Amino acid sequence: MKNNIKQRRGFRFAPALVALVIGICAGGVYAAHAADAKGGDLGKLHASAGVACAMCHVDAKHPAPVPMEKCLGCHGDTRKLAEKTANVKPRNPHENRHYGTEADCNICHHQHKKSENFCLPCHQPFNFDVP
Amino acid sequence: MDQDTPQHEKEMDSYTQEVLERGVSRRSFLSRTALGAAGVGLLGVAGLGTKKAEAAQGTEALEFAKSSDGGATLSFLPKPNPISDKEIKTTLTFDVIVVGAGASGVPAALSAAENGAKVAVIQKHPMPISQGNTGSGIDLATSEKAGIEALVAKLMADNNHRCNPALLRQWAYNSGEAVRWVINRAKQAGSPVVDQGTGPQHGIAKVNGYTLNYVTSFFGPKPYTAGDGMRHLAKTAEKAGVKFFFNMPAQQLVQSKSGEVVGVIAKGRDGKYTKFLAKKGVILATGDYQNNEAMCNYFIPDLKHFGRKQMDRTGDGFAMAYWAGGVIEPIGHTKMLHDFDAGPASMCDMPFLAVNREGKRFVNETVDMSLFNNYLRDAKNAGHYSQIFDANYMTQAAKWPGKLVPPEGLKNYMPDDPSPKKGVFDSLINTHVADTLEELARKLEIDPKNFVASVKRYNEVVASGKDSDFGKPADRLIPVLQAPFYGIHRRVRVSTICSGILVNENHQALDADGKPIKGLYAIGNLGGGFYGGVDYPLTVFGLSLGRCYTFGYLTGKHVAKL
Repeated sequence: MKNNIKQRRGFRFAPALVALVIGICAGGVYAAHAADAKGGDLGKLHASAGVACAMCHVDAKHPAPVPMEKCLGCHGDTRKLAEKTANVKPRNPHENRHYGTEADCNICHHQHKKSENFCLPCHQPFNFDVP
Repeated sequence: MDQDTPQHEKEMDSYTQEVLERGVSRRSFLSRTALGAAGVGLLGVAGLGTKKAEAAQGTEALEFAKSSDGGATLSFLPKPNPISDKEIKTTLTFDVIVVGAGASGVPAALSAAENGAKVAVIQKHPMPISQGNTGSGIDLATSEKAGIEALVAKLMADNNHRCNPALLRQWAYNSGEAVRWVINRAKQAGSPVVDQGTGPQHGIAKVNGYTLNYVTSFFGPKPYTAGDGMRHLAKTAEKAGVKFFFNMPAQQLVQSKSGEVVGVIAKGRDGKYTKFLAKKGVILATGDYQNNEAMCNYFIPDLKHFGRKQMDRTGDGFAMAYWAGGVIEPIGHTKMLHDFDAGPASMCDMPFLAVNREGKRFVNETVDMSLFNNYLRDAKNAGHYSQIFDANYMTQAAKWPGKLVPPEGLKNYMPDDPSPKKGVFDSLINTHVADTLEELARKLEIDPKNFVASVKRYNEVVASGKDSDFGKPADRLIPVLQAPFYGIHRRVRVSTICSGILVNENHQALDADGKPIKGLYAIGNLGGGFYGGVDYPLTVFGLSLGRCYTFGYLTGKHVAKL
């Protein structure tokens, strides 16, 4: 039952996130989300999509750290994500020499603070717009 | 080992004595405190044992590590929280557990498996990782023994004589065999690795007149590196029966009541724990701690403003070894900062005019690139500098040591040039050409006014034939007069920190009394005693990877045969 809910939600907003990542948010409902995300609050985007705190943190009052597996539970396999961003220039951020396709989502995509471009300090040309 | 110098091994060497005396360990400061206190008569004379001293230190000592004198609490080395058996999802038993799949861990695992052991590798990354291209060893059959000893003596001097000579000799007398073995086994899995022999080893084919030959593994050209090489080697290891567990950071060692290390607990991506039990030993190959800011600030504050080349090097193995009773080498760790990527690696040590970010000359440029970091430690320079030369460099610098790349080849390192790049990381290239000095300064991101003034002054020095500013030899002075002007904007960053845990010649960790800790080994950049100078020496090109391969190869074999 729980899994079903996850599946459905994943289906609903995973494409939205992908759209944000590749920076082609063409208006509509996703554009509003993009503005929120760029403001540094991906957590709000999740909340507005109906994801309650406890769904990631187990207990909203005593939030537990969120392992990457939670992200994958809704958003699916990292290899599929990497396929979707294969044409991002100057390179695919989701497949790299350091982690393959398995970089922890949280190194760039923060929920409760501004997201960061983790590549940039070393690779100046990788000027990704990170939701 | 065909070395006939037993006097080196009979008694404890001065390096080990020094580290036991001044290194950081759980027990060293306690016994030292006890001695000190007894000396001034504060705590009486009889029966002052470690326990009493520990009590005198208060409970803080039980939760965090302490500096060698007990005066500072080291919050970056917290005591691991106990993990109860109830929290363990799975328990697996092997002969040998290797923690870390890098340039020493993967060879150690394969070597142990080839010697009959059932081996597991647990790795916090999703795959094996390593950096660099070149790994070196000495070809014993074609090298004179006096030459090998002369090279060891040279490396000791490079290390400011603060290393364990026995470990240098162990590399010297075993590395040819080990590097050859790595090449052979990586090739079995399809690696394009080659043995470059003595070719890349400029200046050390003869040392003090004695002949040496080398086995030089080259995993390359970029973007293929030793990382890809270790991924190939891991395939061979899997075929040999080694089990790899990825995305599983080790959390803590498991010790018996007597202190023997009998396993490791690791955490999976699902947040659940697996206990890996080791019948013969745990080999820590977890690398350095460059991404642990507090630990760097304590052991090597020089690094404060430098960029880091690696990620996730948080010193996990240091914490594990420390809490198991191991000793961390004292403050003043050895660092490695390079930039082989911005321009041709073969030109990095050529003594062209060099200017810092302000556009000012800052050093006698005959200093090695590997030492430049010492002049660029401040927040503004942060490792940035530029090598400057003019249109005549191919003729005027032709006799300098190193290898010049002609103008056509330099385009491969120019981000502004549209030509397709080959054999480089194109996100790290940073070479520029311009028709005016002002334009070049802008491309190099340095102050044009200072830069033009520095070049003018440098040309005056060159014209006088004497470097009255920095004393560089006259045959290393060439002017910067004729357009186009070239600049290589290098940025040295931290490749690794190569000081670590005190070990003996079996690479077994020693406790604060100098006794081996049963079941615990440390290799690669986590292993101490091999360096000791301010900076990693570039005397032997590829010494770092060569040492990692060699000690992995030897330690895997040793532990498997226990």
